[in-house]
Order: sequence, then structure tokens, then C-alpha cells
Amino acid sequence: MSIFHSINTSASALTAQRLRMDTVSSNLANAETTRATINENGEYEPYRRKMVVFESKDNSFNSFLQKARVGSSSQGSGVRVKEIAEDDEPFKLVYNPNHPDANEEGYVQLPNVDPLKEMVDLMSATRSYEANVTALNATKSMLLKALEIGK
Amino acid sequence: MSLFGNTINSLERSLDYASLKNQTISNNIANVDTPNYKSKSVVFQQVLDEKINNQFSAKRTHPKHIPFSSSAEQNTFQIVSNNSTTYNNNGNNVDIDKEMTELAKNQIYYQSLVDRLNGKFTSLQSVIKGGR
Repeated sequence: MSIFHSINTSASALTAQRLRMDTVSSNLANAETTRATINENGEYEPYRRKMVVFESKDNSFNSFLQKARVGSSSQGSGVRVKEIAEDDEPFKLVYNPNHPDANEEGYVQLPNVDPLKEMVDLMSATRSYEANVTALNATKSMLLKALEIGK
Repeated sequence: MSLFGNTINSLERSLDYASLKNQTISNNIANVDTPNYKSKSVVFQQVLDEKINNQFSAKRTHPKHIPFSSSAEQNTFQIVSNNSTTYNNNGNNVDIDKEMTELAKNQIYYQSLVDRLNGKFTSLQSVIKGGR
């Protein structure tokens, strides 16, 4: 049990939430990108919305062993990003025959990014980030207080 | 007679408890968006068990008799997960308001413990100096 355990826990969450915000920024930036990847037919595909998947860090062997031995779970060691998943939702079709990427019928495939969803996600990430900063500050003040013992 | 008595030991154990609790709360807040995460809390499991199991009080008539209560001093608190509820659609049950209040409470608790510990040392020092 290290004294900086709590700080590391909060730091892992800050990193994870920051990555979530970065992903939201990327989604919003690419909301109109029609040429993001090249598929197996050699054609351009629009940008696919990306999502961050979180996983608790204490799904480790150690934590299960402790739970089996003492009957008590470990205090946990934060959060980590398991993967950046892509949204399988179909692309939006917009009629725009003059667009260079329009198909024979005149429809253009646009990314499956919904700005509304992204803004909600961004707000959620911001709030979580703030909560973790508060937790970090609380830990910091406790550690500084501990240094005053016996002064 | 020990110089420090029992006060410092109790304070020390309480500080351990508060520190572990802080780690647990930090972890809960860190996992507020993790699917299927269940919140954890620190409980005095063993103290609770002793209270439940030792409802009869018996007097030892001889000091060599085996004591009725085994008072293990270590690890009186345990971390348990609350698996019974679900707040969120993704199986997560971290109540952020509860965690933030617990965090604030725990912080004040910790600081008051440190204050008390320092007060204890100051009074000991005053005794050692003969009140001068």
C-alpha cells in the first residue's frame, strides 16, 4: 500500500476522461469527413464515430486472489481504457448530386456522428474530470496534513 | 504503564481507516463511467461480527482460561462491494453525490484526527517539560 495510491487512482481517471474528451473532439472535427478510410474495394469511406470503452483496473488476478483469501476486495487501483470502439450505426445519406463523393443516385454518405450525442458525452466527461480533480485535491490535502503529525 | 497510552493507538488505527477509505472513494469516483463497476465501501466487518457473535458476556474465573472474545487487532476493516443495486443503464452503481459527500466527510475526519494526534503530542511534551 503506497501513500500515493489514491493519487495514482485519480490520475488514471483523469487520463481516461481526457482521452474521452479527445475522442469527442475528433468525432466533432470529422463530422463532415467523407474520406476517412479506404475500404477493401479501394473506395473512400466516411468517418466512423469512435467511442472510448472503460474498464476497472482491479479485474486483475491479484484482486481476485485477495478476495478469495481474505473475503474482502482490494481497494482498487483506478480505471483504464480497454479499447476505442467504432460505432456500427449506418452512415447518413444526404442527397447532393454535385458532391464529388456522391453515388450514381446522387446520394452522399456522411459520417454517423451526431453532434448532440457528442456534446452530451463531452459534458459527462467534463463533470467526471472535475469530480476526479476534487478527489485528487482531497487526497493531496490529506497527505500534506499527515506531514504535520508531530510538528 | 506505557507513556503513550491507548489514545495514540486508536488514532493511528483511525488514520489507517480514513486513508483506506479515501483510496476506496477515489477509486469509486475514478470508475464513475466504467460499465458494470460496483461501488466499494470500507466497513468494520470484524467489529460487527464480534458484536453479533459475542452477545453473551462471560467472566473468566482464572487467568489461564481461554478468553471468550478473540480480539484480533489487525484488519478490523474490510472492503466490500455493493452488488445489489444498479443506478445506471450500463450496470454501474456509483452514486457520485454520495461519493463526493463521503470524500468531504472523510477529509474533515482525517484532519481532525491529525489535529487530535498533535494535541496529544503537545500535552505529552508539556508534561515532559514539567509545565514550563
